[in-house]
Amino acid sequence: MREGFHRISPLADVAIQGRFGADKGAPGVELSVRHPLSIVTVIARKDKAEALSAALAGLKGCVVQWAGADQYYAVSETYAEGALYRELREKLAGLASLSDQSHGRIVIRIAGPKARAVLAKGTPVDLHPNEFLRGKSAVTQMAHVGVHLTRTGEDAFELSVFRGFSENFWEWLTGQAEEFGYQVS
Amino acid sequence: MLIKCPHCGARPVEEYTFLGDARPQRPTSNDPSTMEQWFDYVYLRDNPKGRFDEYVQHSGGCRAWLVVSRNTATHEIHGTVTARDWTKSRQGAKA
Repeated sequence: MREGFHRISPLADVAIQGRFGADKGAPGVELSVRHPLSIVTVIARKDKAEALSAALAGLKGCVVQWAGADQYYAVSETYAEGALYRELREKLAGLASLSDQSHGRIVIRIAGPKARAVLAKGTPVDLHPNEFLRGKSAVTQMAHVGVHLTRTGEDAFELSVFRGFSENFWEWLTGQAEEFGYQVS
Repeated sequence: MLIKCPHCGARPVEEYTFLGDARPQRPTSNDPSTMEQWFDYVYLRDNPKGRFDEYVQHSGGCRAWLVVSRNTATHEIHGTVTARDWTKSRQGAKA
């Protein structure tokens, strides 16, 4: 890595911290951008799906999210540039094909009592707590943008979109959250 | 119109991309004498009324290729399988 190399979030100038909407009363949701992240796409090779899911279950240091049939995202905040990709390439050799998406996707976290109400405006996915369980992921569309949606807590979700759509998506998301009031942190 | 994806569950039709009839099978030979089979495979399509098997991609979701059995008159969905399972079952039926 070159000295002075510094990754800038595509939402750096857009996601301005503060309290917005619903006349700035108590916010219904809290929005934040997870950055910088290491994101690696993991796709099982032919006939290796079961061996791959077993290998992924034993992984430490990153969160593995379902992202389609025999496909996953490995996500971590703790790795240096490119390090997660290199580590997984070694550990999953022969089981999966990998692609480093750290610069390609942006992850927005949305949490709070109104998080479901905001997301339900955009997606047909059933977000009921008993249906969309903690740790579960779904790939869907919101405002015509492909979104990878993961439930990370009781009322907390993560939205992963391509970075080129992130500014447009942020505008849409904050527009939907306006009626509940939102805090950007 | 809701289509049930084997991986994602019921999703609206906007998330899907339709390719077309799943029944024509690609000829295995490149021999010039099979030109007629190739012509049929590439150009000729039925336009049935009733149950119809189509290749559909869940492009707005898990991106898997599926075969959706749909009634062209009523848009009733009879069933959905992955294209992989569909091909396997068709090969099994032939063998």
